[in-house]
Amino acid sequence: MTPGDRRGGSAWRELGNELCPWLRQLGQRRRRLVLGALLLASTVGAAIGLLALSGWFITATALTGTLLAAGAVARLDVYVPGGGIRFFALTRTVSRYVERLYNHDTVLRLLADLRAVMFRVLAGLDAQALSRRRASEWLNRLTADIDTLDSLYLRLLAPPAVALLAILVVVVLLASFTPLVGGIIGLVLMALWGWLVVGQAWLGMSPSQRRVATLDRLRGHVIEHLQGLGELRAYGSLSMHRRRIFDEEDALYRDQRQLGRITALGNALAGLGVSLVMLLVLWLAALAYRAEALSGPLMVMMPLAVLALNEAFAVLPAAFTQLGATRAAARRLNALKGSSSAIVETATASSIHEGAVELRLEAASLHYPDSLSPALDEISLTLGRGERVALLGASGAGKSSVAMLLTRLQDPSRGRVTLNGVDLRELSLEALRSRIACLTQSTELFHDSIAVNLRLARPEASDAELWRVLEAVELADWAERLPRQLETPVGEGGRQLSGGQARRLGLARVLLRESPVVILDEPFSGLDRPLAERIAARLDAWLAGKTVLFLVHQLGNGQVAPPGIRRSLKLVQGRIAS
Amino acid sequence: MSPSTPESGDDGLTPRRWLADLAAREQRLLHLAILAGLVAGGATIVQMGLLAWIVSALLVQNVSPGGLVWAFVAAMGAIGVRALAQWGQEVVAQEASLRIRRVARHELLEHLEALGPVRLAGRHSAGLGGQLVEQIEALDGYFARFLPQLRLAVALPLVILAVVAWLDWLVAILLLLSMPLIPLFMALVGMGAERLNQEQFAAVTRLAGHFLDRVRGITTLQLFNCTTSASEEVFARADDYRRRSMRTLRLAFLSSAVLEFFASVAIAVLAVYIGFGLLGYIDFGPSSELTLFSGLTILLLAPEFFQPLRSLSQHYHDRAAALGAADGLVALLNEPLSEDASEGERCGVAPATAVDLRGVSISHPGRGRVLGPIDLEVAAGSTVALVGPSGAGKSSLLQLIAGFIDPHTGRMGIAHENGFAWMDQRPLLIHGTIADNLRLAAPHANDAQLLAALGRAGLGELLARLPEGLDTSLGERGVGLSGGQAQRLALARVFLSPARLVLLDEPTASLDEISEALVIEGLRALAEEGRTLVIATHHPALMTLASQVVRLDQGRIVAEESA
Repeated sequence: MTPGDRRGGSAWRELGNELCPWLRQLGQRRRRLVLGALLLASTVGAAIGLLALSGWFITATALTGTLLAAGAVARLDVYVPGGGIRFFALTRTVSRYVERLYNHDTVLRLLADLRAVMFRVLAGLDAQALSRRRASEWLNRLTADIDTLDSLYLRLLAPPAVALLAILVVVVLLASFTPLVGGIIGLVLMALWGWLVVGQAWLGMSPSQRRVATLDRLRGHVIEHLQGLGELRAYGSLSMHRRRIFDEEDALYRDQRQLGRITALGNALAGLGVSLVMLLVLWLAALAYRAEALSGPLMVMMPLAVLALNEAFAVLPAAFTQLGATRAAARRLNALKGSSSAIVETATASSIHEGAVELRLEAASLHYPDSLSPALDEISLTLGRGERVALLGASGAGKSSVAMLLTRLQDPSRGRVTLNGVDLRELSLEALRSRIACLTQSTELFHDSIAVNLRLARPEASDAELWRVLEAVELADWAERLPRQLETPVGEGGRQLSGGQARRLGLARVLLRESPVVILDEPFSGLDRPLAERIAARLDAWLAGKTVLFLVHQLGNGQVAPPGIRRSLKLVQGRIAS
Repeated sequence: MSPSTPESGDDGLTPRRWLADLAAREQRLLHLAILAGLVAGGATIVQMGLLAWIVSALLVQNVSPGGLVWAFVAAMGAIGVRALAQWGQEVVAQEASLRIRRVARHELLEHLEALGPVRLAGRHSAGLGGQLVEQIEALDGYFARFLPQLRLAVALPLVILAVVAWLDWLVAILLLLSMPLIPLFMALVGMGAERLNQEQFAAVTRLAGHFLDRVRGITTLQLFNCTTSASEEVFARADDYRRRSMRTLRLAFLSSAVLEFFASVAIAVLAVYIGFGLLGYIDFGPSSELTLFSGLTILLLAPEFFQPLRSLSQHYHDRAAALGAADGLVALLNEPLSEDASEGERCGVAPATAVDLRGVSISHPGRGRVLGPIDLEVAAGSTVALVGPSGAGKSSLLQLIAGFIDPHTGRMGIAHENGFAWMDQRPLLIHGTIADNLRLAAPHANDAQLLAALGRAGLGELLARLPEGLDTSLGERGVGLSGGQAQRLALARVFLSPARLVLLDEPTASLDEISEALVIEGLRALAEEGRTLVIATHHPALMTLASQVVRLDQGRIVAEESA
């Protein structure tokens, strides 16, 4: 019927598969969707009824009036059609308002569901899958992509269904008086509907699929630009990097221009098609009238009913030209949901007994498919109960990967990791992570207050406890001088703090957590020596009885050593050096 | 670009004025779009008139359809002209909107650049990114649809009114009476919607910031077992957004409902009036002169009378969205380029001096004085180590020398030959290849120079292991590189840069001993080339490299010693 269909059904089947999981997701609120579509249909139906009945009424009164003027005896019931006209007018107004409100509420409810679902998906991914993607692209996944999927219902499902229903109503109306006219018009209107839905989607498919990705890149470049303003300004490369932004913007606007033209074409065709069909109906009805198969008022009513279809068709071109955007969003979210690198809990996950903990890496290897860093290569390592071990190594040697394996942010590609002899994969994630406090290499602080950042480690901690850990890292005096004290916001990623302050806040957060295992990755980086020594002394007392792994570049050489190290191992390019 | 000075601080640019200025830039295209809209409206009137005439000829004059072929052809012509004009209106208005958005984005980017890195540090870069991308795109509907429609909504009803008045003046008066009521209702409804829309935009920006923040720190959330509560928080935020949106929409939809109501009721009232008039039930006014032709034309034109206003109200949220977006964008543009309270001045330096600070201090809003007043002179070609406890103001001093912060008091002079090189603890790594990242510092450097710089930063060995070498792609924030490797890549940029003044913030903070030795060696080489190095550091080896050690504590220089 349309070029799209001839191009082969497989492309459309693929589209169906991509949208299928989301249609199922929407299906969970089926009742709201059906009710919303019915409200939409009643609006369109009322519009058709209003115009058609009004045309019929005026013609009937005109003809009756002519007869009366000629002195003939003629009667016309004016009350039933008059009431019908008022009914349609009110129905149209009320159902339109209710429909729009109801459907938007539905869509936003779906969006909130979808956002939380997608965040949970992300939270279940392993470290490698998380680090492979750009943070700003994720933002897009969580907001724009899910927003785009609202068009599935409000733009792509309900309107074409309602338009089909409207065609059906008009065709039945026409066919009940002259079946031939109904049949012909039905075919023509179906072809027009097909073009507005399938044809527009086909024309707009590739530029609208690209749109989201282009916006994504544009946003990424802008964020890089603003975050790296210091270096870019220093090196005089602002204009060079700005060029990257502008190139992306050009690409965006090329596609937008193309899509705009396609949409304009669709809108013009919708108006043209409906009006020409209306003329055709008028012609056929006129012939039927001459053949005395049709009364005058009905002859007028028929083209006017067709004319009212404009309302049902007008929304189709813009929506379907952008179908590719919905498709691309669905495809990206599908890929994320179907990611093979999720950290999965087994059904029989067991909890962990209280008390001291022993951790072991048993010939554990880690291979990142597209990482520059060396993989861990058959590492065997035991952290005995209450033992403090230092793992030394240059940056990129794999120290952070060891920490990821121990905290199960990542599963080993080969070998296993055990806690008190049990494979971590057999343990409940919640139980495992509540036993381990880990200071990561880069301090991740949230755009919230000092208190909120600290309480991540222990939500029920009292203010006094927060002050105590701040005291331990010597941030208490500083925090006390701040006008808002614990409620002071730390800025994006802790940018309102100096590097050393952010590090100490991260350390304080770990101190707040009471856990038998502690992993500290470069606990003193960015701190001056006297401060580091004082903090190390306090750390020593706090670490008593815990199983501890320190990750450090080196011991000695003027650096403050973490306290109480009993054993140290050196990691070189993913292997334990002998 | 708003060239704000401390005196003129708030130059009073309002969202409305900014949008009007932007529209004025593409006035010709916007006028062309309005013209096309008028042509489409005229063609519609002709089409409806012909339709009524055909019906009247068939039913009243009993003309056979065969005798009306020309009228059918003329109606087809009118329909064709209308379709063409509609297409033209959309395409031209879109072009205007594209051009305007491009200009607006460039203007904002320039302003943010001028504000500088320290002023931007307190802001969410994702929020700013959203403003520069999504919120500028949110201006689209205003220029592409709302503005042309605003003129059409005035002009087209007047034309139709004139036609109707010619047919039946009583109907025209009825329509005329309904006219002033409509904008009144819309203004009432629109005012509320606009304010709510602005709130909603703020909510969207916060929502975007919240998401990016949580996603960036997702590892920490995993480690602290907080992912469940975080996803609940995400749901709560999204649901809050829904409730805000619904408040906006309840009002926004009301304005279109008012118009729907008028349009529907007008058709109903006119149909009944015309019908009764044709039956001769009404014995006053012009109704006795009504015919099937005039009655049907009026009926068909009545919806068209309201259509431009209905379209306008559909695009009303475009205006609200644009004003909401413009509000945030203009707030950025109105941000003065320098602190109001800044009284520090800049001056030249003597030939052999790289940095000359006299009584300079820095204040941050809400945090008071963070540095100074200090006096510091750095001779060209010397190496200065800034030492002291963390939080003593070392980074602030470096930012001041870099020109990212303006001095609050005092006089400062900096020799900026060939710019300066900069490296902090959060190096910029762009989404691109290693070579792309290096060429930020030296666009014309050849591969050999890039490799040499990497070698000097201690990355030669890593590079040798990469099959794609310099063309290896890096993700955002240097995904694929460890923290130390990322920092060394930033250091390689310093080596590549031709700048005479090199500002380094903890350059060896996370390097292993081998790379560290290489880096110190490289820094020594830089110093020997005659470059001026200012290094904030805790590292003893770097302090020994320095010819001058400046010790800071609580924002003041407490000791200054020459090696």
